[in-house]
Amino acid sequence: MSNTAAAAPSTNTGKSSSWWLIAPGAIWMALFLVAPILLIVYVSFWTQTTFKIEPTLTFKSWQTFFGSDTYINSLWTTLRIWLIVLVTTFVIGYPTALFVGLFVKNKTLSTVLLVICVIPFWTSFLIRVLAWRPMLGKEGAINIILMKLGIIQQPIEALLFTELSVVIGMTQIYVVFMVGPIAFMLGRIDPNIIEAARDLGADFWRIFRKIIFPLSLPGVVVGGIFVSVMVLGEFATAAALSGRKVNLLGNIIVTQVGSLKWAMASVVGVILTVVMGLVIAGFLRIVDLKREL
Amino acid sequence: MESRVLKPILAVYTLLFILFLYGPFFVLAILSFQQGPEGGPQFPIIEWSTYWYRHIFGLTPPSRVAPLPLGGALFRSLTLAFMTMVTSTVLGVMSAQAFRRRFRGSGVVFYLIVLGMMVPGVLTGLGMSLLANNILGIERHWWSTAFVTHVVYTFPFAFLVMLAILNRFDSSVEEAAWSLGVSPWRTFRKVTFPLIFPGVLSAMLFAFTLSYDEFSRTLFASGRDQTLPLAIYGTFSVEIHPNVFAFGVLTTVFSFALLAVYAILMTMSVQRAKKMALQEEIA
Repeated sequence: MSNTAAAAPSTNTGKSSSWWLIAPGAIWMALFLVAPILLIVYVSFWTQTTFKIEPTLTFKSWQTFFGSDTYINSLWTTLRIWLIVLVTTFVIGYPTALFVGLFVKNKTLSTVLLVICVIPFWTSFLIRVLAWRPMLGKEGAINIILMKLGIIQQPIEALLFTELSVVIGMTQIYVVFMVGPIAFMLGRIDPNIIEAARDLGADFWRIFRKIIFPLSLPGVVVGGIFVSVMVLGEFATAAALSGRKVNLLGNIIVTQVGSLKWAMASVVGVILTVVMGLVIAGFLRIVDLKREL
Repeated sequence: MESRVLKPILAVYTLLFILFLYGPFFVLAILSFQQGPEGGPQFPIIEWSTYWYRHIFGLTPPSRVAPLPLGGALFRSLTLAFMTMVTSTVLGVMSAQAFRRRFRGSGVVFYLIVLGMMVPGVLTGLGMSLLANNILGIERHWWSTAFVTHVVYTFPFAFLVMLAILNRFDSSVEEAAWSLGVSPWRTFRKVTFPLIFPGVLSAMLFAFTLSYDEFSRTLFASGRDQTLPLAIYGTFSVEIHPNVFAFGVLTTVFSFALLAVYAILMTMSVQRAKKMALQEEIA
């Protein structure tokens, strides 16, 4: 770093002042982020009785989790919805990213398009979730439009309060996190490479497969990590759009805390953390982000 | 060349994509003008009216639809967002300032801070309520436990914004001030701070809006008293009425007003910087 050399005369005071500047923030994070998360692991081994919880270590809550169909099912539901939303955000988001990042040559226009995509985030998250209720309902906008167009005769009832509605809602809310990083990576592709490939007679599909997609892969990985972390930690969308039919791990944590079953909530919290860790590690195996970015 | 065919197709697709992002909100906005109190949260619109907007402000005669518990919630949300904004911006500026020099453990501290925005709210919220309830044995409140959890979430954003600003910062002006014998604190106040002010403004905007909107952490970490997002969440389980939609429109308008204030302040600070540069040139 060049300014280290420039500030060389005041190295001693500089070092200690760095520590004083960083200490409040670092301590804040250690106390209110790291300690609480470690505490989740610890409390998951506490003994829970109907009325209270005691710090006597036991595996009982863990056994309850893996012995219960309800909990195991919610683990599978979480993984299923995560995977579906990951695929839908990718499939729906990629063409938009392709257009914004690669096909729009004008930088201002591509920035404007990205800003248009981000503006909905200025509405409250819960309002955006709730906005799907009048869209998807039996007398909702989608059914009305489809019936007016004569595509369907009877309203589709499966649109709201099902797993489908949760997937639709989550896809709309999180797809932008996929579009952004991919568009960013596509925007960095040197047009000369594509030009050269075209001059050598490659068709678009081949250019896409051999050049464009591999170069956009780091963006896909970053977007995938964003979407995964948010979807795995979700509970509000499921609560609002599934009519309590879809129970994600997040929903279990909320209900367990609501009934003061702290040990069980912690077990689910640890499992959620492990799942997230595995997913992120898996993504990072695809691409070495430190090298690519 | 296929791109001649492909480009218009992708353009139309992008248009549909934007419609997908905005559609639900437009439907919600339209339905917020439903007739009341009999009109439900669905089509058709029986008659256009501003009934549900008046309902929010308590200007309608009492009906079977209970008013949203917004008064206190709005106050709490704004206060909490303000506290969070000030704290995380101060922490963000300090930490980013520290990162201008490499120090032992800077890599670890960097990840420690950024972790705060990556860990889902369910986990930080759960951890914080465990800490308060089972270890410290204190009651949870929006101004205590929820506040510190909000800062854990917004501080990384402020930190990253400030880091980006300070990376492009020319430190020779500071060194000039130091070599003239100006104290470090005075240098920061008179030289550094005015230069990084646009970044500070962005950090404040991030922190305020993220906290104002924050839901999952608040659900766990705040006590009985609700903030605005919690009040909306409370309507999820019961039958919804168009008053929630009207409220959604109003919060969105509020967010855009905030964005406008930010834009105005930003333009002003950029213009002032330009003016100063011009004066220097003349002198």
